This record gives sequence, structure tokens and C-alpha cells, in this order.
Amino acid sequence: MEEQLKIDFEKKLKDFSYSDQEKKFKETNFKEFLKQGFPNRKLENWKFSDLNQIIKSNIGELTFYNDYKKENQIDKIELISELEHNKIIIVDGKIEKIDFKFEDKDKIEVLVEQGEETIKENINSLINLNNAFSNKFCKIIIKKNYSLKKPLVIYHSTNKNTQSKNTNSRIDFKLEENACLRLIDIFKENSEKNFLNIYYNFQLDKSSILKNYKIDKSINNNVKYSYNNVKQETNSISETFILSSGSKFFKNEINCDLLGQHSSAFVNGIFDLDEENHHEIKSNINHLVENTKSYQLVKSVLEKKSKAVYQGKIFVNSEAQKTDGYQLSNAILLSENSEFNAKPELEIYADDVKCSHGSSSGSLDENSIFYLMSRGLNYQEAKKLLINGFLLDVIEKITDEEIKNLIKNLLGVKE
Amino acid sequence: MLKINNLCAKIDSKSILQDFKLEINPGEVHAIMGPNGSGKSTLSNILSGKKGYDVTGEVLFENNDLFSLETEERAHKGIFLAFQYPLEIPGVNTNVFLKTSLNAIKKARGEKELDAIQFLKLVKEKAKELKFDKEKLGRQLNVGFSGGEKKKNEILQMSILNPKLSILDETDSGLDIDALKTVADGVNALRKKNNSFLIITHYQRLLEYIKPDFVHVLMNGKIIKSGGPELALELEKKGYENIN
Ligand SMILES: Nc1ncnc2c1ncn2[C@@H]1O[C@H](COP(=O)(O)OP(=O)(O)O)[C@@H](O)[C@H]1O
Ligand SMILES: [Mg+2]
Repeated sequence: MEEQLKIDFEKKLKDFSYSDQEKKFKETNFKEFLKQGFPNRKLENWKFSDLNQIIKSNIGELTFYNDYKKENQIDKIELISELEHNKIIIVDGKIEKIDFKFEDKDKIEVLVEQGEETIKENINSLINLNNAFSNKFCKIIIKKNYSLKKPLVIYHSTNKNTQSKNTNSRIDFKLEENACLRLIDIFKENSEKNFLNIYYNFQLDKSSILKNYKIDKSINNNVKYSYNNVKQETNSISETFILSSGSKFFKNEINCDLLGQHSSAFVNGIFDLDEENHHEIKSNINHLVENTKSYQLVKSVLEKKSKAVYQGKIFVNSEAQKTDGYQLSNAILLSENSEFNAKPELEIYADDVKCSHGSSSGSLDENSIFYLMSRGLNYQEAKKLLINGFLLDVIEKITDEEIKNLIKNLLGVKE
Repeated sequence: MLKINNLCAKIDSKSILQDFKLEINPGEVHAIMGPNGSGKSTLSNILSGKKGYDVTGEVLFENNDLFSLETEERAHKGIFLAFQYPLEIPGVNTNVFLKTSLNAIKKARGEKELDAIQFLKLVKEKAKELKFDKEKLGRQLNVGFSGGEKKKNEILQMSILNPKLSILDETDSGLDIDALKTVADGVNALRKKNNSFLIITHYQRLLEYIKPDFVHVLMNGKIIKSGGPELALELEKKGYENIN
């Protein structure tokens, strides 16, 4: 792999005339990735999902070079028709289109960033990989007091003939004071056996609101990693909802730093897994000042040999009095071979806090099935009704009605 | 309508029903009385198709072999069980459940399904008759319902589904006298020439309001005595130990 990485990286550097600063940024990150490689189970964060192994067994040898000069076809990508939206279309990690057609032009600024000279935060090797191989990344600024009229949908796609490739994309967002963004991530790949690596930074200024809905519903054989790094100032709110379902492997990592008082973070999700799919949500909620709040609810419905992992961490530092942190996960195992792993972590250094966590898993309740069947529903109908009922409270956590309905439709939850 | 012959049931080789015999004709109301643990709920469950029992013997429902029918097929054919302990189903709206149930049965019978408006009209009417709090219909099924409300909800389902054979498994226990009368009214309203009832109870209290045609005493999985309504009164006086 190292050979391939070096060749691809050389090729990458020759593609564009990068500035010295950009070059340095990419090289530093590249070296760091070479040193660490893909994360494996020896790392605590990756003990349930050995990515190195997962890539080996599902993809084999990866290549890392993507031609960013080539224009990718985007007209075949199926867009959401249920709701009007702004869009960004990413193909093989390259942003092909940015379209804020529903918005006031002077309220949104799109910048092309060069990357810092050194790596300020060394998050993990996948972020290094991303920084080394992603193109010049963009930064989107939502101006003070502006709420986007329509949601922004980011389509993540791959080319038909892209295979055994690693693709990287990064976008930074800044929500200025009192700004509001609804962001939907949708996955529409046209090819299999790739490793998609997605990295977002969010700077949430005072009283801004971010709602990020990640929808992985289409069935595909790709391996995915997504990292959200959210920094929250006073009174800001971040709401993340993850529908984790279609991919072979998907790990969503959400890091929220609650830096300003009365800021709050919500991370909710559904694992709806079948076959041998293996998905993970890893959250780190860092309560760093007084009076912050976090809430997490994750529900799983696991068929066949699927496996879901939820590692939720609540960190409360010594200054963060009056923290309110809550975390719950429930799983229904629909087969003896499915597996749910929950690892809640509370690390608390303040004494006046309200934190709790809980987790449960079990099979579908046979008595409830019997009750529903005795009323004329067949087994499949009874099962569907029970599962929908089980998922309802986490779906109800979605605060955006339009998007809630979209997700209900995707899950086949009727009312 | 229902013919039970030599029914034996075991769970994990523990014998629960032995040589059970019963015949219910169209329009008849039968009461089964028996102490705790005598096998009353087991009988109801087996008639409705609950899994997990080893059974031998024969049960015919309108000349169909009951054991060859799935639980939902029995419901389609007109068997209804009011559960002794109705289940709470979180996340499932009571109205949605009732409509799904009614339409599943109608569909299986080749009848026209009800649309939302027709259904709401029906359910409102029935809820009113049973003094069932309408607001509860918008709630999750049995979640947060009192014991009495759960039992009434069973009777509401019964009156909406209009079954041929209704089995009431201790629907009366835990009900106050007003609720008891309402439940009895619900049963009596359905009591027609062709609808039959199997009323399982502990006490003869309910039988003051629903006059049974036959009363059977169940002890240790066997019917030890059958008679008319007067048997219920005798039981009340003498207790189960001294019947024979
Ligand atoms: N699932 C079960 N497993 C083992 N024993 C059971 C089970 N269900 C019922 N029984 C036993 O069968 C007997 C009859 O129970 P049941 O039919 O519930 O009685 P009743 O309804 O008359 O009170 C009791 O001794 C009870 O303990
Ligand atoms: Mg009982």
C-alpha cells in the first residue's frame, strides 16, 4: 500500500500548481498518514470496527489518486424530489456543483481554502489522509442573522467506473451569529468497493443553529467514514441525525465542543441494518463550560449478520458545572447472528452535573407479535408495525417537519 | 361453531389441559370458571393460535381444523380474544392500529376496506357506546392506559371487528361496577343469533350482566362440571373445593 500511496501522492502534487503553503500542508498530512496507516482495532476508538481489516476484506488494494481536472457527469445523479433544496454535488471527492439558488447571494460566501501550514489538531489518520488527497477545500460562510430558506443537500457520489478507490472530501462551514443551516447529506454512489472519506468542520457562532441529517439509505458495497467537527459558541445548537443503513460499512464520528454557555448538542440516530452490514456511530460531546446540554438517542434494528456499534462519550471538564448530559441506546436484534455493541463513556470532572446513560437490546417481543396477529395482521405486518413503533420516538426527535417526513417515507413509516 | 375434542396441551412436558371437551353452537354464551392456574388463559391462547404449546386432540371452528390456521387466519375467520393482560405497544397509535386490524380482516374476507373517514365515524360511534375516552384513541396503544381502560379497549376492538366467536379472558377482573356494566353492554350488543361467546371468569359477578347459556367449571386443566347459569351461583357459595 505504501508504494501506491507514494506514487499517487506524487501524481496528485503535479496536478495543480499548489502554493508552497498548500504543498507543505499536504505533505505534512501525508507523512502523518504514512506513519499511522488506516486505524485498526488496537486503537480504543476502533476496537469494534477495525477499518484496516474492513478495507482489506471488502475492497482489497486501494488506489488514492483521483483526477480532479476531469469533469464528472452529474446529470445522472438522482436528486431528491420531495423537497426544494440548494445543492452541492460531490463526485469522487470533487465538488462538481455548488448551487444556492434559493438564497440571497450576499448572505452566503464560498471561499476556496488553502489549508493551514501545520496541522493544529491531529484528529486521526483518516483526517490526515483526507487533507493530503482532497482537493483545495471550500469554506462556506453563512452571514449574520441569515437563515437559509431551503435546506442544503450535499450529494455524495462516485463515477460509474470508479472502483477500489479512496475518495476524500472536506468542507468547512461557518455559521455567523444567529445564522441557521439545515444540511442533508445523501449518498448516491454509482459504483462499488470504494472508501469514501468525508470531513466537515463547523464553526457555530453565538446563537446559530445547525441541523445536519445524514441519510445513508441506498444499498451499496462501499466503505465510508464521516467526521463532523463542531465547535459551538454561546447559545448555539447543533442537531445531528444519522440514518445509517445502506452501506457495507459506515462509521460516523461526531465531535462537539461546547465552548459557550447554554450551547447544546443533539445526536440521534437509527441503525437499520441488514445482511452483513457493519455500522458505527462514535460521538464525543465535550462539555467545556457551565450550563451546556447534550442529548443522544440511538435505536437499532438489526437483521441477519449485521452489526451496529454505538460509542457515545460525554466529557465534562472541571469548569463545566450544571452540565446536562443524556445518552440512551436501544436495539432490536432480529436474528441470532446480529450484534449490537454499546460502549457508553462518561468522563466527568465537575461535581454539579446531571448525566446519565443507558442501553438495552433484545429480540422482538413475541407476545406483542401474537397480540397484533390475533387482530388479523400477518407476521410481517405485525413485525413492521412494532419496529416502526420502536423507531418512532427517535424519528420524533427530528425538529424539521419536512425532513422528518422525508425520513419517515424512506423508512416506510406510515401514519 | 366451535368443537373441541380431547384437547391436551403441554408446555415443556408439563401438562396443562387434559382431555378438554367443549362444543359451542352459534349464538350460545358459555362461561368457564376456574381457580388461578387451572388453564383458562392457556385455553384462550391455544384457540387464538399462540405458539409454544404441544397440543394433541382436535379443534374445529366452523368445520375448519383450527390447528392448520395461522393466528391471523383465525382472526380473519372471526375468532377474537380479549386478552387477560392486553399488551402495551409503544409508538403505535391506537387509531392506526384499529384501522390496520379492521382492514386486514376485511381484506382477507374480500370485503371493501374502510377509508379514513368511514373508519373514524365507526370508531367514534363505538367509543361513545362504550364510554371510551376518545382522546385515548390518539395515544400509543395501551401505553399509559389504566387497567380498566386497557380492558375497555379490548371490548372496543371486539365491537369494531364484530367477531363470530369472542373469547373474553377475565375481562372483568380489575373493573369497577360501572366499567363492568359497560363491558357487559358491549357484549350484549354483539349478542346476536350467530355470534357466540366464551367468557372466562373468576367470579360470577359478570354473569349477572351477561346471562350465560352454559357454565363449566375448570380444574387442573379439565372440565369437572357443566350446567346452566345456576352453577355459577353454586360455585360462588361453595367455592371450587366443594363442587362435584
Ligand atoms: N409459558 C408457560 N410456561 C410454563 N408454565 C406455564 C406457562 N403458561 C402457563 N403455565 C402454567 O400453566 C398453568 C395454567 O396457567 P393459565 O392458563 O395461565 O391459568 P389461568 O389462566 O387459569 O390462571 C399454570 O400452572 C401456569 O403456571
Ligand atoms: Mg389467566
